Amino acid sequence: MKRRVLVAMSGGVDSSVAAAILREQDYDVVGVAMRLAPEPTSPVATAPIAKRRGTCCSHDDFEDARRVAERMDFPFYVIDLRADFAARVVDNFVSEYLGGRTPNPCVMCNREIKFDRLWSRARALNADYVATGHYARIERGADGKFHLLRAVDDTKDQSYFLFTLGQDELSRTIFPLGAMTKTEVRARARALGLATADKPESQEICFVPDGDYASFVERRSTPAQLRPGSIVDVDGKRLSNHAGVHRFTVGQRRGLGVASGERLYVREIRAESGVVVTGTREQLDSSGLIANRVNLVDDSIASGNEVSVEVKIRYRHRAIPATMRVDPERRAEIHFASTGPAVTPGQACVFYRGDEVLGGGFIERALTEKAAN
Amino acid sequence: MSIYLDHNAGAPLRTEASAAISRLLQDAGGNPSSVHRAGQRSRRALEAARAQVATVIRPADTRQVVFTSGGTESNNLAIFGAITAASRRRKIISSTIEHSSILAPLAELERRGFNVVRVAPDSDGRIDPARVIAALDSETALVTLGLANSEVGTIQDLAPLASASKASGASFHVDSAQAVGRIPVDVDALGCDLMTLSGHKLGAPAGIGALYIRDSAKFAPTIFGGPHENGMRAGTPNLLGAVAFGAAAEAAMSTISAESQRISSLAASLLARLREAIPGLRLNGPLVGRLPNTINLTFPGVLGESMLIALDLEGVEVSMGSACAAGAVEPSHVLRAIGRSVADARSSLRISLGWSNTAEEIDAVAAIIPAVWRRVAAAEPLSEASAR
Repeated sequence: MKRRVLVAMSGGVDSSVAAAILREQDYDVVGVAMRLAPEPTSPVATAPIAKRRGTCCSHDDFEDARRVAERMDFPFYVIDLRADFAARVVDNFVSEYLGGRTPNPCVMCNREIKFDRLWSRARALNADYVATGHYARIERGADGKFHLLRAVDDTKDQSYFLFTLGQDELSRTIFPLGAMTKTEVRARARALGLATADKPESQEICFVPDGDYASFVERRSTPAQLRPGSIVDVDGKRLSNHAGVHRFTVGQRRGLGVASGERLYVREIRAESGVVVTGTREQLDSSGLIANRVNLVDDSIASGNEVSVEVKIRYRHRAIPATMRVDPERRAEIHFASTGPAVTPGQACVFYRGDEVLGGGFIERALTEKAAN
Repeated sequence: MSIYLDHNAGAPLRTEASAAISRLLQDAGGNPSSVHRAGQRSRRALEAARAQVATVIRPADTRQVVFTSGGTESNNLAIFGAITAASRRRKIISSTIEHSSILAPLAELERRGFNVVRVAPDSDGRIDPARVIAALDSETALVTLGLANSEVGTIQDLAPLASASKASGASFHVDSAQAVGRIPVDVDALGCDLMTLSGHKLGAPAGIGALYIRDSAKFAPTIFGGPHENGMRAGTPNLLGAVAFGAAAEAAMSTISAESQRISSLAASLLARLREAIPGLRLNGPLVGRLPNTINLTFPGVLGESMLIALDLEGVEVSMGSACAAGAVEPSHVLRAIGRSVADARSSLRISLGWSNTAEEIDAVAAIIPAVWRRVAAAEPLSEASAR
């Protein structure tokens, strides 16, 4: 009996190749494209024909995925998870911004949609596994435990987005691309004759295609939910006013609307009072952070003891050495080995040891030398 | 081997239709409008097919059947042909449960300034003829309604509408795509001006349909070109499709009463067994006054989308509402119109039987569907899916 795997297909080259590889490995592949973001307004009959065909990028993307399924001869379905995505990812995105934090919706989408909601669907469809085109590796150790590892291609490694996966999820997940480089993936796609071989990377957050997060949050909020207020310096001196804390992220330099001799950065956002504190580059430095809702890939390190790890506090940052202690409330106190970069509340903080993901959590606040003890 | 239970979307090609296509391919003819003998052979085949197709609605004059590219074209020709002929009148009466090939043209006409009245059905999907008659007036250009609903199978009582339409000077169009070949239809007894027929619902290939146009109908052509099809629909007819349609129609009509009995009892048996195995299963549409082949069911506690895919992977092919442009399924507008909640509509599937189905298949399906329902309900309970 072939093992059935539900492959989440976006229409991009990565998930296309992931599905194709599993098909070649003789899995019973079932491809699904998830309808997640709300539809754009439907095109009117008088619009130019090319626009009518291409208004919604996701429809074209689904067609690309469908073509891969046809070429590789496995069944393919579009499934509608818009309501789940709105309730579990988009609402969280909005409320995090309103709370003065900077969310990472891809982490939430993985946790809530791809490795939870989609898994329910997989079981409903009698599938044994869920697979995606993520660049990360899963290995089973001699102890029988599953380990989540960085991808071989360091420039594409997406293990940062996957720290919420526990033993249960890892045991039924396949990442076929973990040992491949992007170049190899594209070459494989070309060799297989997949239409998606040379598709460009997608960059933006899928449900905010124009990248204007502030406007998106405003459209999804009532005026009473917005927190306008003042921009101040580290001494509390008011520099100007702003229209809402959701327009800022810690570490941000542009768009502060403050004329100053020095380059100023957002240092802290106090959502309740609407105060955005700015400081110089040096004043952004932190000594560590507090993370909450911590997940450990292997719970056995949650001993309460201090452990040495490397932490990555933004996807595009390098991991830096730190010590960490996880308490029973799933909060982690982390101290960087040396002065660290700006810590952005709401972002994920992922703990590594070498290539292995030990776990991660969501950043609650930065620690500075003074506050650390 | 899969079990195909989606005849309302399109029936598998009948062997008779396939044989007719093969015969015609052996004897490659010319354009039926051409003078030469190759053209004459084609013309003879086309007219023979027309006579066969006409038997499904029994018109006094078979020449009033015009071949089209399918049900959608027939509905469009009927609607635009009728409103073009009734130049001054700007009102159209229809219902909320029609096929998209009626709803979409009406939405377009509404956009162009027409007054479209959509009568709502009762909770079984029945359109009250009195409500249509009440909406008729001297402004009404057209009444356009389906004879049997594609999703829940309700058969409408349209008999009172022909004389009422005529009395107020409106054209009366009936979409009988889902009804013909399954239940007896007599276009003259019904008295409508225009009637839509579809080939692939009967076991012909997709791409062939017909529009019945009564000689007295107020109808203006909307496709212009050569003098084909009595000038009603320009373009060289799809002869391969037409002969297949003719053969499928003849096959359907030669067995209609026995076949209708057989399908009806298969469907009843399936329904009874599903009801026994699935507590809370609900039938949408009326118990009587329905197409013998159509069962629309609301499955408790599951998403229809999951059921549909899970069944497909088990080799059972059914349907749910209609597919959107992206290929995802949308909740049925018909179920919404007969008062089902969005949640119920999302939990519903349509099972439609036809000539290809056997008692063995129905036995198999009567076991597979409850097993799949139990698995889906356990793995992906509705309570877990977000509130919709």
